[in-house]
Amino acid sequence: MIKIENIIAGYGDGPNILHGINLQASKGEIVTILGPNGCGKSTLLKCIAGFVKPRGGAVVLNDTDVTPVPANEKVRKHRMGYVPQSDNIFPSLTVAENILMGARFLPQATRAVALKRQFVAYPSLADKATRKASALSGGERQLLSLARALVAEPSVLLLDEPSAGLSPAMVHEVFVAIEEIRNSTGMCIVMVEQNAFEALSVADRAYILALGQVALEGCAADLIADPAMRHLYLGGDPEATTSSA
Amino acid sequence: MFDFLIHVSIMASLYAVLALSLNLQLGIAGLVNFGQILLFGAGAYGAAFAFSNQLGLAAGIGAGLALAVCVGLLFARLGRGLGGDYWGIATLAVAEACRMLLQTGGDLTGGAQGISGLPPLFEAGSRQDAALMTLGVCLAFLAAVYWLCRSLTHSRYGLSLKILREEPQLAVSLGYNPNALRTQVLVLSSMIAAVGGVIFAHYISFVGPDQIVAAETFLIWAMVIVGGVGNHFGVILGAVLMQFLFAFVPFAKDLLDMPSDYVAAMRLALVGGGLLIFLLWRPQGLVRERIGGGHRGG
Ligand SMILES: Nc1ncnc2c1ncn2[C@@H]1O[C@H](COP(=O)(O)OP(=O)(O)OP(=O)(O)O)[C@@H](O)[C@H]1O
Ligand SMILES: [Mg+2]
Repeated sequence: MIKIENIIAGYGDGPNILHGINLQASKGEIVTILGPNGCGKSTLLKCIAGFVKPRGGAVVLNDTDVTPVPANEKVRKHRMGYVPQSDNIFPSLTVAENILMGARFLPQATRAVALKRQFVAYPSLADKATRKASALSGGERQLLSLARALVAEPSVLLLDEPSAGLSPAMVHEVFVAIEEIRNSTGMCIVMVEQNAFEALSVADRAYILALGQVALEGCAADLIADPAMRHLYLGGDPEATTSSA
Repeated sequence: MFDFLIHVSIMASLYAVLALSLNLQLGIAGLVNFGQILLFGAGAYGAAFAFSNQLGLAAGIGAGLALAVCVGLLFARLGRGLGGDYWGIATLAVAEACRMLLQTGGDLTGGAQGISGLPPLFEAGSRQDAALMTLGVCLAFLAAVYWLCRSLTHSRYGLSLKILREEPQLAVSLGYNPNALRTQVLVLSSMIAAVGGVIFAHYISFVGPDQIVAAETFLIWAMVIVGGVGNHFGVILGAVLMQFLFAFVPFAKDLLDMPSDYVAAMRLALVGGGLLIFLLWRPQGLVRERIGGGHRGG
């Protein structure tokens, strides 16, 4: 479970980017964060992951205040997984090595099994297991970073635009995969997305950010149906978007 | 001639050890260390300090390792605040500053004259026998270091070192601690270089600040680049090749009938020229890095 209480954050001595954000995601829930470019979505995820230190407020994971805990500790102690928006693969390691890097805290005996499971889930990666990750296409890199985050079965998973750069068919596949993971493991997933309608169709709840504040929040199904929201934040008609997918 | 070959082989294997130590930092962990020779110097001076205090080889090794670990930790500490290239320049500055300190160190360090009279590793038998035994020690140590580097690289630990050079931030998000990894690899390679320095000090029987000039660091860099950054075997090849080329410069000088002061210049030209040629036409070096080395550890 993730609970964000009144987070205020910014970079260096720059201005505040987030102005008091509250957010909650329970076990087994998919929560999506939407909003225009530069509104602070990635910054919010970095605050949760521990890469940006909040200037105020608290990050609570599974009832423990983890605001001051460094990012690498959160992975070990709180089984957190985080896929950043960019630079999310190790280019000179092979595809298999990349995935294994995510399995640091798995017992030695289960690592090979976990790797195989990822290859079964993503056959396109299995074909390239021994190739350098730098030789993957943009979409394949995206899949690789997802596979690596999932190999250790985290209890909370933060995804920064997991469908960026994917073809419409792949976007659909990735969201189906995310939903399946949630169903099978009861993971708590928070994902930032630009493919708003796809994201809302798998999400339970959504937060829409604008200028570093929560402009709208609610049940995903209600938000899709809300014409004002569609017009203001999602830039169009759902039929037009989904029919092209 | 045979004595000369033994001497060149000893020097080649010691340089190969230094090149492996640099390769662990540069080739595996991506640490651009321009102060490599100081790690070697720490070992050599450790042996010399032990000698000038009437202590034996074991104390020399201990002192050399301790000094080298201090330098390694200092380098690691600098790495927390400085990004890659700036860190490299800082290591160069530290190495040069230490050299000057040693040069002006008075009685303790022997100043510019250094400390001489260190006993050879082996006293028994003829000089040639002693040299052969020293060569044996050097080769055994080189083999041990090579084996260590190889097993490290093929292990999961080696894999986590590799990500230091790629995406440290991403490594953090997977639970790794880049600062700790950097410190570990620096301490380990410092110790390797220091043992090389101890052996060298006893073999040459003299330790002085001229042995740790920055040009030596760049010679080691050239060996690594020519041999193949990231490939341990290639790096040994590069060290041996350059050392033997160096050794035959005086003969080339005689053949071409050039004055003796050209020897140093020709050596420099070899290092610079070799570096340029490889960087421009074969940046992967003689033997390229193998990918997928850490996969088997599964
Ligand atoms: N490392 C940084 N240093 C300083 N300012 C930053 C940094 N990263 C982001 N910002 C600023 O913070 C604001 C929010 O950035 P953020 O990356 O959180 O946006 P976002 O909502 O994820 O946008 P996008 O949809 O384009 O990914 C932007 O104005 C950006 O300029
Ligand atoms: Mg973003």
